[in-house]
Amino acid sequence: MSLQLLLVIAFGGALLTYVLGKISHRVRDFFAVFISLVLVAIIACLYGKPGGKTFYFGFFGLGLILRLNMLSWFFAIAISALGALSTVFSLSYMQDRERTDFYYLMLLLVNAAMLGIVFSGDLVSLFIFWEIMSWSTFLLISYNRGPALAAGMKYIIMSLAGSLSFLIGMLSLYSTYQTLSISEISAVMASASSGYILFILTVFSVAFGIKNAVMPLHTWLPDSYAEAPSPFTAVLSGMLTRMGIYGFLLIMYVIVGAAGVLNLGPGILKFNYVLTWLGAVTIVIPTFIAMLQNDAKQLLAWHGIGQGGYMILGISFGTSLGLAGGIFHTLNHAIYIVLLFMSVGAVQYRTNGERDLNSLGGLIKKMPIAFIGGLLGISGLIGVPLTNGFVSKWLIYKTLIVEGYPFLAFAALIGTWGTILSVYKFLHNMFLGQLPEKYKDIQKSPFSMQLPMIVLSLAILLFGILPGIPLKVINAIGISFGFESLNVSLWGIASEDGTLNTINIFAAVLVAAALVWLLFRLTAKSVPVAQEDSYAAGAYVPKDKYHYAVEFYDPLYKMIKPFLRDVIDEFYYWIASLVQRLSGSVRHMYSGDVGYYVTYIILFLALLIFVQMRWKVW
Amino acid sequence: MVAKIIQVVLSPILALAVGVFFLGLARKIMARIHWRYGPPLIQPVIDLIRLFYQKSASHGRMFDVGIILSLAGSIVVVLFLPFGQIAPLSSSGGLLVILYIMLLAPLGMALSGGQGANPNISIGISRKLVLSLGYEVPLLLVLLAVMTRYRTISIVEVVNAQQSTTWSIISLPLFLPGLSYFLILPAILGIRPFDVSSAPQEISSGPMVEYGGKYLALATIEHAFVLFISIALFVNLFLGGAANPVVFFVKMLVVFVLGLCVNAVFPRFRIEQAIKYLWKWPTLLAFVGLIISLVIRS
Repeated sequence: MSLQLLLVIAFGGALLTYVLGKISHRVRDFFAVFISLVLVAIIACLYGKPGGKTFYFGFFGLGLILRLNMLSWFFAIAISALGALSTVFSLSYMQDRERTDFYYLMLLLVNAAMLGIVFSGDLVSLFIFWEIMSWSTFLLISYNRGPALAAGMKYIIMSLAGSLSFLIGMLSLYSTYQTLSISEISAVMASASSGYILFILTVFSVAFGIKNAVMPLHTWLPDSYAEAPSPFTAVLSGMLTRMGIYGFLLIMYVIVGAAGVLNLGPGILKFNYVLTWLGAVTIVIPTFIAMLQNDAKQLLAWHGIGQGGYMILGISFGTSLGLAGGIFHTLNHAIYIVLLFMSVGAVQYRTNGERDLNSLGGLIKKMPIAFIGGLLGISGLIGVPLTNGFVSKWLIYKTLIVEGYPFLAFAALIGTWGTILSVYKFLHNMFLGQLPEKYKDIQKSPFSMQLPMIVLSLAILLFGILPGIPLKVINAIGISFGFESLNVSLWGIASEDGTLNTINIFAAVLVAAALVWLLFRLTAKSVPVAQEDSYAAGAYVPKDKYHYAVEFYDPLYKMIKPFLRDVIDEFYYWIASLVQRLSGSVRHMYSGDVGYYVTYIILFLALLIFVQMRWKVW
Repeated sequence: MVAKIIQVVLSPILALAVGVFFLGLARKIMARIHWRYGPPLIQPVIDLIRLFYQKSASHGRMFDVGIILSLAGSIVVVLFLPFGQIAPLSSSGGLLVILYIMLLAPLGMALSGGQGANPNISIGISRKLVLSLGYEVPLLLVLLAVMTRYRTISIVEVVNAQQSTTWSIISLPLFLPGLSYFLILPAILGIRPFDVSSAPQEISSGPMVEYGGKYLALATIEHAFVLFISIALFVNLFLGGAANPVVFFVKMLVVFVLGLCVNAVFPRFRIEQAIKYLWKWPTLLAFVGLIISLVIRS
């Protein structure tokens, strides 16, 4: 199965889905799911079959190339699998909405474009797919209209800035080397001057940094995540944002090469060292901002930024452990954040789109699968042992500590504790605590929502207990970048200064939990009571009047809130308003009065004459 | 293999025994400081047995699972911590794993309490989590200082390095972090002046207000384990561990009694005072210690 055919199926399937939607919604739904499952199957079959092919020669004299290697396969399988799950989840979520044909078209188009990006073997094709992705994303973010339009606008403006940066880098590479094929550039890039390498890296880092929301380029993300329809937020947060990570890997370790990147610049101002610190800042600040959020999706969105910091930190640190941790975290983050957004989506679906954490509660008994999804999702996000997030974070921490960078490690570790606070609030305010009277008769989520959540929950545990499965592929990616091989086994990673053995931890937890459970069962029985039947020290607690978890961390809020303004966002808005005012004043020139225009022409002519008399230009 | 299995079985039992003994001892010593006679040493054991036979109320599945998870997490941590030379699982993870499994206990408690739907629980959990963020800042710096100094993330190697040279607490780079750990110890244990989250007189024991019977018993056992873990960690990291369990126990006892005497006479902090304190002196000490370790290393 060739890569062209794969992309033809992906793009053609998207268009065909739209056409089928005009005939019957049921057929369209089946077809959309079918296409996305076919893609997963094809990509799974392509495992370990590297290859490349020029599929079109003559695009301004440049070849358009598709190629498959470990790196692109790894991203492709994640994109297609998560895309398929999101499509399944969309079935009931989008059921009664308007413009669903358009929604499915865009959703499948975004997935197809992402596959195109990872299979591109030259920068032109990459750029074309990149733009298809950005524009369809824009249309989906603003799908809900209202505030979503503003969010979409913010996204597309920043995304365009990134694309321009990409274009500058691409043109510069072309004018220097007369080729845009990735393999050809990487062959000649090794001999480039360090100044030029730095320029190329910086330009592309802006492009990919915007996509991956690295601070200070993150401001598009929270609104976009919150306003997009939940199944698409899952795609957006899972793999789409992480195309930035793919881009970083491509530019740093494929095009420039590890040897060129890791010793670029003087002392502490080395390129990759600056990038690690940006990663560290990206971990800490957004994680603490997340604590202040009351909107379930905004809260997760800020964590999306924060977790992106771990990936940047891992891959730019430039050891084989760090690289493996960064890439693995990309996959892990995708899995649990998609699960979390699905969990929110399931709740939204049953509560008329409610995502305000202060008006939900007690849904655990009504929606148990969504709760389990949420619980495993936050466990992964925190990095509780035996969930996938733990392993990737462990790899990153370990390399930072052993290589002697404790302050970076501190930033990464404290991010985890900030995470616990906010995600506990997230889970508690949706699923624990009191069930409000108005949600008393709520139904559990439909099967098409439960299925993807169950699959992802199992994936979190599987990769947490047997991390060797994905790490084997990741190790191969690291080796292809020229890093030394890791000693990976199915259940962990061995080295002389600290070993991880997840199967032992798993066994220990299992046995300990079983023992405590036995003790629990064998002792006196407990009586189930209603939620109102609680001890209030003799005081009367009115039913359904108070929400106990509003302003949950109030003392802490008061202390840290002044430090956590998003000044960068304010700065961008300031620039935007400046441009707006400037344009506004320019607009006043066009008064509509012919007399004014004549004056402008005469003034301009006078200026030209003055210039000619003074400097003799012409 | 057989020796390993014996160790796996033995270490949680020993830890539980030490923890429960400390609980009894704490009540006795506190009573003496307050000029009371105090209950007998085995009072916690009597209480535990009684609680297991008493009726209790359950607020739902998570209410049960949370507390089981919490206790199981603590038992697992014990398996990773060297107790003298008994350290059954210490080769499978090291300090980072210990640090992370220690999360299970508060997280499980919080999840269990969360389903209780009681205002006191909400306040208690909120305080508990904020407090843990408070002491995690200095604690992480302390642990990073130790790991940077000995260039390993394995706790066994930290102990071995101290056995062959000298205790960390009397070595230059780690004296300040050691002091810092001792200062935050009551916050980790949640005892006065940091008993904000349980605060019996104020919010009716906070997260435990809905617990009765066996729930209370499990919570008490859990507390005993936490006592053991946080003191054992201190002994391992700063007092050189020990060649055999008896010496290790004596070291733990000294640390515990010292901490108790200091803290028996303090009134309770408010939560924001606690955070301010934790982020000031202990953090500063640990920070300076970390810089010294980093300088010495390079």
